[in-house]
Amino acid sequence: MPLTGKGTAPQGALHKGSSSTGGRLLVVLLAVSAVLFTLSVREAGTGVLSTARNTFQMITTPVRQLGMVVTSPVRAVGNIMSNLTADQETLSELQAEIDELRARNAELEEAARATESLEALLDLKSAYSLESTGARIISGSTDSWSATVTIDKGTSSGIAVGMPVTDSVGAIGQVIECNPASATVRLITDENSGVSAMVQSSRAQGMLRGSATGSLRLTLIRTDQQVEVGDTVITSGLGGVYPKGLPLGKVSSVEKAAGALYYTIVVEPVTSAESLEEVLVITSLTDEQKATAEDIASADAQESSALVEGRGTGVVEQPVADEDAASAGEGE
Amino acid sequence: MQVKDKRKSRRGVGVLALVCLVCHLALAPNIALGNGHANFALVFAEVVALSVGGPTGVLCGFLGGLVYDLSSTGPIGLMAFLLTAAAYPLGMEVHDRIGEDPGSTYVPVAVTTLVVTFVYHLAMLLVGQSTSFFEGVVFRTLPTALLTFLAYIPFAVVLGRSTRGGGRRLGTPSVQGARRAARHSLRTR
Repeated sequence: MPLTGKGTAPQGALHKGSSSTGGRLLVVLLAVSAVLFTLSVREAGTGVLSTARNTFQMITTPVRQLGMVVTSPVRAVGNIMSNLTADQETLSELQAEIDELRARNAELEEAARATESLEALLDLKSAYSLESTGARIISGSTDSWSATVTIDKGTSSGIAVGMPVTDSVGAIGQVIECNPASATVRLITDENSGVSAMVQSSRAQGMLRGSATGSLRLTLIRTDQQVEVGDTVITSGLGGVYPKGLPLGKVSSVEKAAGALYYTIVVEPVTSAESLEEVLVITSLTDEQKATAEDIASADAQESSALVEGRGTGVVEQPVADEDAASAGEGE
Repeated sequence: MQVKDKRKSRRGVGVLALVCLVCHLALAPNIALGNGHANFALVFAEVVALSVGGPTGVLCGFLGGLVYDLSSTGPIGLMAFLLTAAAYPLGMEVHDRIGEDPGSTYVPVAVTTLVVTFVYHLAMLLVGQSTSFFEGVVFRTLPTALLTFLAYIPFAVVLGRSTRGGGRRLGTPSVQGARRAARHSLRTR
């Protein structure tokens, strides 16, 4: 592929007889870039540049879809390789987990029968009547600094910015950009993601944040609350973005620093971005799916007691910082 | 003659831009190392800067960066700024460096890739889109730089081979061609 002209001097066709190195152009384009950067940072999701980005992403949707189809065998090989490389310890752990799940399944079947009869008697509505639209993931993130996926549904299918997205296992993220043909979903593992969450067993409420490593961190859980490795973390419904009770992950480590008010909790997400193919975009929440007044009061009480405790021990910096993060809220 | 050469050169850059765009949108999201993805906009800017250079290199750096910014969720203009700045020093040296000796471009390309990726990470930290310096460097900057450099190698090899494979076909002047051109210019004088 010739990039320089045929039969030209070694300097190249575009520079024959010219000593220009593009200095002026450099200055002009750097200035244009700086202006674009400033406008982009200031306009925060709505404006000309966001429209340009949405248009660009809409135009390039077919190329992304093509890429997903072409690379699907390569990704499948990647999954096989990760399964083959599982060590004996992992296999033993999985076997133990299967045994435990079998026992738990039998227990739950009994509970389910009891629940069914109770539901029939009390005529309870199902807690998860999600109003949603199915979508297919057509692409991952093109850059390394964000954990996002692109889905093949957009505003023409009723999708809007802010809607939560789930897969068959649990919540995976939130729509952050939308055009008529596609939408970008920020995954819960993204560094800028924040989801109001709680530990299912102890009902301790906190904020689940993503990180550069791909793991999740559950913040704002006080050290006097009960959290153990293996506990399931679910959405709390606070903030009104995610429906209450959707699984987010499992606690993989709990650390308590000396004198700290809050645990350092690492959560393993229930789904990995690589395995995502089809998702549900939740288009609206029912009243049952939102946090109740009791949940909100409970979260407030938890935070207030942490602040009081912090003042008592003289440790107030961390709660204030975390409170700011919490007030920024879900879907940040 | 020069108009024809310019057209050929533009067509070459256009084909390269198309290949890099398809790779960036279709290939990069699906191949990752850690959280890093190859940056084909950077590869495009480097290849054009090292083979054509000058104003064309700078302009292609800007346009490549702009496409990267539009396809990502980061701030628009940041990668455009970095690639414009990176293309200028690369394009100042002897032109068509890839065609002459692709191997000699690996070091400047590796350094440029690492610097651009690292500065991008710093800027993302400054605008609050990244929170951890260390984790960002380990899980994003280094894998991205490595994948981008690996993605550059096939481009350099293909361009280098096609250039060395025959002067007429590849746009670089053969010795006979240079002599012919010199004779022609003497006659016209």
